[in-house]
Amino acid sequence: MRWWVYSIVLLCACGQERTESIPPPFAAILYPADNPSTEAGISLGERLFFDGGLSQDGSISCASCHRPELAFSDGLRVSRGISGLEGLRNTPGLTNIGYLHHSLFWDGRAENLEDQALHPVGNVHEMGGSWPEVIERLREQRNYVAAFRKAFGAVPIDSTLVGRALAQYQRTLISSDSKYDRVQRGVEEYTAQESLGHAIFFDLADDPGGPFAGFPKGECAHCHTPPHFTNQRFENNGLDEMPDLTAVPDPGRGAVNRVVYDNGRFRNPGLRNVALTAPYMHDGRFGSLEEVIDHYNSGGKYAETRSPNVHPLGLDASHKAALVAFLHTLTDTSFVK
Amino acid sequence: MKYLLPLLLLFVLTACQDDDDPVSATEEVELSLDFRADYAGQPLAIQSGTYTYPTGARLKVLLFQYYISDLELLPVGGGEAVRLTDIDLIRWMSASEPATTTRSYRVPAGEYRGLRFGLGVKPELNARNPSEFAADYVLNEAEFWGPTTRYVFAKIEANADLENDNTFDTGLSYHLGTDALYTTVTFDQTFRVAEGSSPAITVAADVLRALSASGQTFDISNPDQRNVHGGNQEVGRDIWERLAGQFRLEIRE
Repeated sequence: MRWWVYSIVLLCACGQERTESIPPPFAAILYPADNPSTEAGISLGERLFFDGGLSQDGSISCASCHRPELAFSDGLRVSRGISGLEGLRNTPGLTNIGYLHHSLFWDGRAENLEDQALHPVGNVHEMGGSWPEVIERLREQRNYVAAFRKAFGAVPIDSTLVGRALAQYQRTLISSDSKYDRVQRGVEEYTAQESLGHAIFFDLADDPGGPFAGFPKGECAHCHTPPHFTNQRFENNGLDEMPDLTAVPDPGRGAVNRVVYDNGRFRNPGLRNVALTAPYMHDGRFGSLEEVIDHYNSGGKYAETRSPNVHPLGLDASHKAALVAFLHTLTDTSFVK
Repeated sequence: MKYLLPLLLLFVLTACQDDDDPVSATEEVELSLDFRADYAGQPLAIQSGTYTYPTGARLKVLLFQYYISDLELLPVGGGEAVRLTDIDLIRWMSASEPATTTRSYRVPAGEYRGLRFGLGVKPELNARNPSEFAADYVLNEAEFWGPTTRYVFAKIEANADLENDNTFDTGLSYHLGTDALYTTVTFDQTFRVAEGSSPAITVAADVLRALSASGQTFDISNPDQRNVHGGNQEVGRDIWERLAGQFRLEIRE
């Protein structure tokens, strides 16, 4: 009898498809206690993400600016909303966005993904609508009502639930199979050029006895810190001359927290899939990685709050090309399929 | 029924016994510990303050931080140290933050002969990768250099006006830490912790004293000494040694 029961259990176990993959070597995502991810919530969030119905005229969805094939960026200098209206800032990619638990947006005005998702709907430069209108439309669609009920139970649809569903979907946008990752796992090797770029990125020249002694340093990883290549903090990276911190083109973080010393500071973006997310910087002023590297190589423009890690680097053409080659190793083609 | 009276008696006696216990030995009370950043003995105004450097240059300090490990109270009489925390990151990086940051702990009431902590990330934690910890743990604050250089124990970042032309255009970035640099800081100062009458205890660290003390001043005019990161720790070893040696414990009853 006991043998028979064991056999049944064993057969059942063998019949289950193994669906879980090896977890990425990152500190686990912090799922909010009031918004745990569920299959139904993620599915609803994905549907909302690609639904133009969140915008005033039905023309703009989250995916209009966060295009999956561009690592959820849009290829434009600044985002473009309804009626072609240009926004103020460049659309950041969303690679591994769920791992970032500090404030979001270039200026950090949203505390988390749930909060972030609430902003674009009413922004005249983005979706140009209003939450009451969006909620009314969603409540009129029986399939949405059913999907919300499945995800969140029998509670009325509101903006909070929309934000929660969108956040759940965005927490699934995980990239961990770039060449960089494979090199870290020891299953692939850099080319010589990529290896030099890696060394410049991580300042390996600091080691006087190491193989890269004498090479220049890029000082990149201070702000673009692995594993997500951001330290999630705000810096002035010397984009604009700022002799007077009270008169800056875009105050960025300072406009949110009203600290004048944070004027001109922006959130350090993650660099995973960075080769897919041009143009660069908060205002999309640089069209290519080469332009970005030229900027940092110059040491940037003056501000008393410019990061002390931004200074002339002394990179020559081969060093810059190596750095670009390394940045391309952060591309995860499986993420953008 | 015949056991009811003895049981009640036992209950009453046990309850009375608690009242007579020397609870002061085990009673836990809240202890607030302040960490203050200074420059030249005055509270540090991160980003906003303009400070004079001994060479005549002026500084704007943009970041000051350090890890502490095994923060402990040392009981009078040599009992076992009371661990307050295994690891913490003390950081000043915004002009919106005051020079003093406060931590609170539950500790046994009693008399202590001092306090100690390891400056830096203790070797057993320094050997572990950030991915092993929760994303919001203090060792996941993007202070990990890499597989060989490990965590940054302390940072001082500033912009200097070397020419006195009112432009703070020379970046100084000192990122320090290796297992070899890990240093235990011990204060031998007695204090008594009790409910409602604990002293104000402050651990003070002075950025200037880390850069300049006892007639030795770090030469920030030398371009080779403006960046200490990861593999060139020897360049900044004396900053580390001064940093580790300058902590002060202030106790105000």
